[in-house]
Amino acid sequence: MINAKIDLVLGTFRLKAEIHDSGAICVSGANGSGKTTLLRAIAGEIKPDSGDVRVNSRNVTNLPPERREIVLVTPDSMIPHLQVEKHLVWGASTKGKRVEEVELAEVKATLGISYGGRVDRLSLGMRERVSLATALLSVPKVILVDEAFANIDHREDFVRSFFGLCHARSIDVVHSTQVESDAALSDHHYSITGGETARIS
Amino acid sequence: MNWLKVLAFIPLGLLVAPVIALLYLGFGPMISSAGYSPLVLRSVVLTLFASAITVLAEILLFTPLSYYLARSRNSLAETLADVPASIPHPIVGIALVVIDSPLTPVGRFLISIGVNFFNTILGLVAALTIVSAPIFIKSMQPYFESMDRAPEEFALGLGASRLRTFLSVVLPNSFRGLVGASLIALSRAMSEFGSIAIVAYVILSAPFGLAGASPASVTIFNFYDAGDLNAAVTASAVLVAVSLPLMVALRIVKGRT
Repeated sequence: MINAKIDLVLGTFRLKAEIHDSGAICVSGANGSGKTTLLRAIAGEIKPDSGDVRVNSRNVTNLPPERREIVLVTPDSMIPHLQVEKHLVWGASTKGKRVEEVELAEVKATLGISYGGRVDRLSLGMRERVSLATALLSVPKVILVDEAFANIDHREDFVRSFFGLCHARSIDVVHSTQVESDAALSDHHYSITGGETARIS
Repeated sequence: MNWLKVLAFIPLGLLVAPVIALLYLGFGPMISSAGYSPLVLRSVVLTLFASAITVLAEILLFTPLSYYLARSRNSLAETLADVPASIPHPIVGIALVVIDSPLTPVGRFLISIGVNFFNTILGLVAALTIVSAPIFIKSMQPYFESMDRAPEEFALGLGASRLRTFLSVVLPNSFRGLVGASLIALSRAMSEFGSIAIVAYVILSAPFGLAGASPASVTIFNFYDAGDLNAAVTASAVLVAVSLPLMVALRIVKGRT
């Protein structure tokens, strides 16, 4: 369950956003509407002027990104020099978690990761699959996806599978998109315009 | 007519002129056998050896600081890191001599555990490390500042600590920056004089048959001070003839990474 109330001013841009939901949450909006700013604020990359962020009733507002159990995945997210296999389990191993062979195989199959090699040499779509899988396997409380489904082919199938895997691990997902129809794949839908959110469902 | 090029290359010529003059005079009209004697050659080896150790020490000691400065806006720490570059070099030498002397409690303690800076390789490397640290940091910090933050942010989001992120994500992708900073620090160390003329004027005990050698810059100064200009010029030419190709070679290596 995410309870985020963010109020911040960045230059001439004012963000006034609220999200109170759990499950797969879609935030749709046009370019420049504040999607990325919102996600970065929830992740802790940007400090809001006022408001707070609670994850499963735990107040993370004053915690740095590495202590929030919130992973922000963008199209640039990766650990460049690692091979795919090592990359997938890296998040989990930093937390001291072991990923069982069975689980790793299941996630790879579900998310269509059948390749190896250095992550920074993969195509964008292949890399995004790996980064999302890495985030999933580290079992945070929340995964924020900032348009990181953008370059993945067979998107709908992938997004559905990804949400299914997150749901099974009680991970809330907030994903930003410019495509309104993505909301149909999610449990909840917010739209954001000029920095203000409105809950649609 | 590309006047920008003209404006750029005339001063460049001025920079290079003294070195060319030295090479010409030192191996030509002013050549002196004292200038390429075993004494001089051992000095050059000592300088290379000590400078190389210095660079390794700096990578170990100052890379974390450079990264920290690049990610936090700690202007006090930044200023402090620049201190050795803002004071005359002999002062660094004097400080090391005094710190390690029986005159102070710290010195008496250091001597008792066998740490001796005066006329030792340890003192030589200590002085070189201190005086070339600021330029190492000045090179490494902007490199870290210009790095793509996405991998670091991703690692932190996954729960990695700042140290773990530095060691496992940032460092493995910093090879180019480290080579560049090492090059600059190496040239700085090899060209040092003021601090080592005080704390390590001559090295009393050293490996590789270097005992009794002085750093190259000190040897060259000695010739000049004693009035043997030819020897000073020849020895200078020898040092240049060794260090310049080294720098060029390292630059090529850097360009290939």
